[in-house]
Amino acid sequence: MSLKRAILLVMLGGAVVPAIGQQIELPGRGTDAGNASRPKVDETALRYFASQGDTRRLEAEIARLRALYPDWTPPDDLFGPQTDVELQRMWKLYAEGKYGDVRSAISMRQASDPSWQPPPDLVARLTEAENRRRLINASDAEQWNTVLRLATDAPGMLTCMNIDILWRVAEAFAKTDQTARAVDAYTYVLNNCNDAGERLATVQKAMPLLTDDQIQTLLKLERKDDAGNPEFAALRDDLIRRRMGHAAENPEYSVPDSDIKRMEELARKETTPGDPLLLGWYLFRHDEASRALEWFKLALDRKGGPKSAEGYVLALNFLGRSLEAEPIAYEWRNAAPENNKAYLDVVIALLTADPPPVLDEIVLSRFSPVVMRDKYVPGAQALGWYAYNTGQIVTAQSWFETALNWDPNDEPSAYGLALTYWRLRDIARVNAMVQSWGPRSERIVALVDPAVRARLEARNAQTSLAGLRIDPLVAAAARLTPTPSLQPPPLGAPMAGNARAYQQGAATGFVPLPGASQYGQTQFQPVPQAGGVPSSALAYQQQAGGLPGTTIFPAGSGLPAQPSYSGQYAQAGDLDAVPTPRRRPTARSVARTGNTQPETTSSAASAAVARGWRLMDLDRPMEAVKAFDEGLARGTGRVSEDAAYGKSLAYLRMGMTNRAQAAALEAPQNPRRAVQLSGDLLAQRALAAYKDKRYVEALIALDERSRIAPEQQDLMVMRAWCYFKIRDLRSAERIFRALELQGNTEGRNGINAIDQETRKVRSG
Amino acid sequence: MMRALLAALLLLACASLPVRAQSAIQIPAPAWAAYMERFVEDSGRVVDGANGGISHSESQGYGMLLALLAGDRSNFERIWSFTRTELLIRDDGLAAWRWDPNSTPHVTDVNAASDGDLLIAYALARAGAAWNIPPYIESARKIARSIGQKLIVISGNRKILLPGVNGFSESDRPDGPVLNLSYWIFETFPVMARLAPEFDWAGVTNTGLELLGIAQLGPARLPPDWISAPPGKPVTLAEGFPPVFGYNSLRISLYLLRAGIDNTALQEPFRRNWLIENGGTPAIVDIPTGRVLTRLTEPGYRMLGAVLACALNATPIPEDLRRFEPTLYYPSTLYLLGWALVAERYPRCL
Repeated sequence: MSLKRAILLVMLGGAVVPAIGQQIELPGRGTDAGNASRPKVDETALRYFASQGDTRRLEAEIARLRALYPDWTPPDDLFGPQTDVELQRMWKLYAEGKYGDVRSAISMRQASDPSWQPPPDLVARLTEAENRRRLINASDAEQWNTVLRLATDAPGMLTCMNIDILWRVAEAFAKTDQTARAVDAYTYVLNNCNDAGERLATVQKAMPLLTDDQIQTLLKLERKDDAGNPEFAALRDDLIRRRMGHAAENPEYSVPDSDIKRMEELARKETTPGDPLLLGWYLFRHDEASRALEWFKLALDRKGGPKSAEGYVLALNFLGRSLEAEPIAYEWRNAAPENNKAYLDVVIALLTADPPPVLDEIVLSRFSPVVMRDKYVPGAQALGWYAYNTGQIVTAQSWFETALNWDPNDEPSAYGLALTYWRLRDIARVNAMVQSWGPRSERIVALVDPAVRARLEARNAQTSLAGLRIDPLVAAAARLTPTPSLQPPPLGAPMAGNARAYQQGAATGFVPLPGASQYGQTQFQPVPQAGGVPSSALAYQQQAGGLPGTTIFPAGSGLPAQPSYSGQYAQAGDLDAVPTPRRRPTARSVARTGNTQPETTSSAASAAVARGWRLMDLDRPMEAVKAFDEGLARGTGRVSEDAAYGKSLAYLRMGMTNRAQAAALEAPQNPRRAVQLSGDLLAQRALAAYKDKRYVEALIALDERSRIAPEQQDLMVMRAWCYFKIRDLRSAERIFRALELQGNTEGRNGINAIDQETRKVRSG
Repeated sequence: MMRALLAALLLLACASLPVRAQSAIQIPAPAWAAYMERFVEDSGRVVDGANGGISHSESQGYGMLLALLAGDRSNFERIWSFTRTELLIRDDGLAAWRWDPNSTPHVTDVNAASDGDLLIAYALARAGAAWNIPPYIESARKIARSIGQKLIVISGNRKILLPGVNGFSESDRPDGPVLNLSYWIFETFPVMARLAPEFDWAGVTNTGLELLGIAQLGPARLPPDWISAPPGKPVTLAEGFPPVFGYNSLRISLYLLRAGIDNTALQEPFRRNWLIENGGTPAIVDIPTGRVLTRLTEPGYRMLGAVLACALNATPIPEDLRRFEPTLYYPSTLYLLGWALVAERYPRCL
């Protein structure tokens, strides 16, 4: 024992040196001091234990005294009658842990007999016992310096007998940024203490306080148990969990594959959610969202609680499966702040998706109250963008206004609002917004200032080149490139009228497109469609008949031959290329929705859609709309999707772009088809705007389109002429030169026109 | 019991004259025995039964001081053992203020309370001198230094005594510093000055007296339990505390007398409210209205009025207050402190 103590004294370092002098029990002090006489051995404790018949303590005491005084032998009269009854009572109280009573008794005897001194051994033990309690109290109260001070003042208690004290001292070192000393303390225990349970517990205690490397150092002190197995084998898995947990929180770290494999084994073998959850977070944070998803799912199934739900939702959202995530996110939203955040993120991801998906009414109707309750500005903003992107401009305006009310300094909300005013042709309010936000928002100014717009565009291009992952809200706003000058909105009337109908809904919650609500019961089913894809040129093909001979540039503009896109359009496939919607069994969706629609209705709807396509073949789009409408009203699932698609194509053919867009939203379109349809719609809108000399809007439509589909030469030509018309000659020239390089003759024409224009300016 | 007490008092009256005040026994043994029996556990814990059986640094400090005044070395050691082991655990050397037998760990608030620390250090210093036990004085010195470092701060041109380490200072509260004038245990400051002369204890005393002169608020012109005393601004009621002259402030009168501060102007509000308006009975008074909320008729509280009347007018202690019967921890403590003062300074009132 004395050797161990000496080791620990060294460990405690310089501060301990004065304490050594106070050591009562250090062996050989008597002889060292030159005292030749045999040291007087304090046998009072021994006699007390003997009188109590406490053989365990008696033996321990004999062993202790023998270690201290090698020449000493126990007295023969150990079990004889005791003479000092009072002292015996003090030992009794001490053995019972009544230290206050012992103190009181010593004090009382000293008061009555000033010459009496308590046995040093009793005082030393009492002091140590009190210090032990005090140290535990200080440690419980996280008064680490007190813990260390007490340990330094009374290192006698730092033995394997007091393993709890050793642990607390080690913890105090760790909590006062002296982890090296904490390692020393644990090392001391593993070198000197032999209780198997305590040794295991020592490493467990060390794990939350030390680094991996330090733990590895401790593990080197591992021994074999009686059966010859490594004693810390049971901790290996804990260590893996610890490493993985650390790496899950700090993704710059990773763990070896063997760790993952072992954890996967454990996670499968056990029935608790802990390990699957840990795996989920680790994998999710290390860019393996789809693997993580499995484990989060398992954790959730094992009732892993809010963290499992959060992980599951985040993983789904990350994988672009926000629609699937939404109901779970909603269910768990109140479990913890993180779950609420996950829910909001999921819905915001849905609302700001590009192109906007058709959302089940319930998604919107339960999101709006949460946004209203929390006055959650990004939520209101996302609702605004969703409304905006689905053509519900007045509803968008209302959400942006709400967001701005909650946070009057929120620029993105202001931008959204300015944009809705712009779309609603409310020039006065646009100007007012520019007035109040001018100094704070370039892009709001860009709505009325071409120079600012050009600058912003250049910057946007750079950002998108950099491929930065950005906030979905920022992306949603950025998709809508500002415009150089205020133009009368071309298609405002139907749009605004349409939107007004939903404004009422905005007050209570979000009422989506009326068509959509009709299909609200059917799940949005992203069914990848391999065939039947309409060529992107289709839309132009429909329009092509009207194009040749159309004067795109105003007469007398002094421009060379009118740029015409008809050439390209004419190359589009003929009517046979129109996709004939594939008939699909609706059984699956019926089974899933529990919809027991009569077969007759279903086939009647299919028949109506088929009739619609035939009418389209006959170039009778107006009648086709009616047929598709019938299909929409009576059909479900795939049939209604086809009907909506047909209807929107019919409107496109009639040049009624906005209606086409609205029709496309009447039934959920599969994503790929929706993208193509949106692309066609936007190209169509750009062309319509161009023909009406609304070049800014044409550019907006082209910008929007370019984000979902590559821009072909014909549209590039249109874009270049738009820039030319709004006097952004540099942008125009850049595109014309690119066209020329690609062998497009329109490129040269454009460059000539620009030269002519600049000469005119110089000469004038 | 009563006879024993009277006998002890007679003994005391005879013995107290030639003996030095420092070691004089000012609390009769039977009274102290009754107090011990009722409020002090074998472990040395002084129990505040009215507050759910908890203990605090104040109760332990009072217990030690009373043991000293009763000349009971043995139980002083007992109470100190508990105090040191269970409460004196803070890194800064001060005592944790709250100990609850029904919680684990027992210390449920590790913040310090300056009156508790002052009482503990004061009792240790006096006991160390009276019984010649140097370790007591050494412990007292450590606590006194910690009080000086942690609880005495400058606020404007005042040296103030914060009620606790956390939560009361100018930076902790918009209406800070928030102070409790009953934590100024004036008799302790000269002793602290001897223990830790590097701190300005006289300045603290002066601030206490100054604030007592200022903080006579409301129609009754009594000092509230908790005041806000921002530098350069008027003293007001502290936010979030009951706006009363209550259980805290009522001991100020006794503390002034015990410290030998014969300032009649500072005692005037107590005299008026207790002796003139309420027939010798202290009361909880609502500061804004001056209304009496509760009359405190327990002997321990009435003893405060009796001690004041004795000090100011040599009024004898009423017969029914000459006998100690423990009731609750707090009034019983005040009773014995009052008795000890009368026995030492105003034996003519007995």
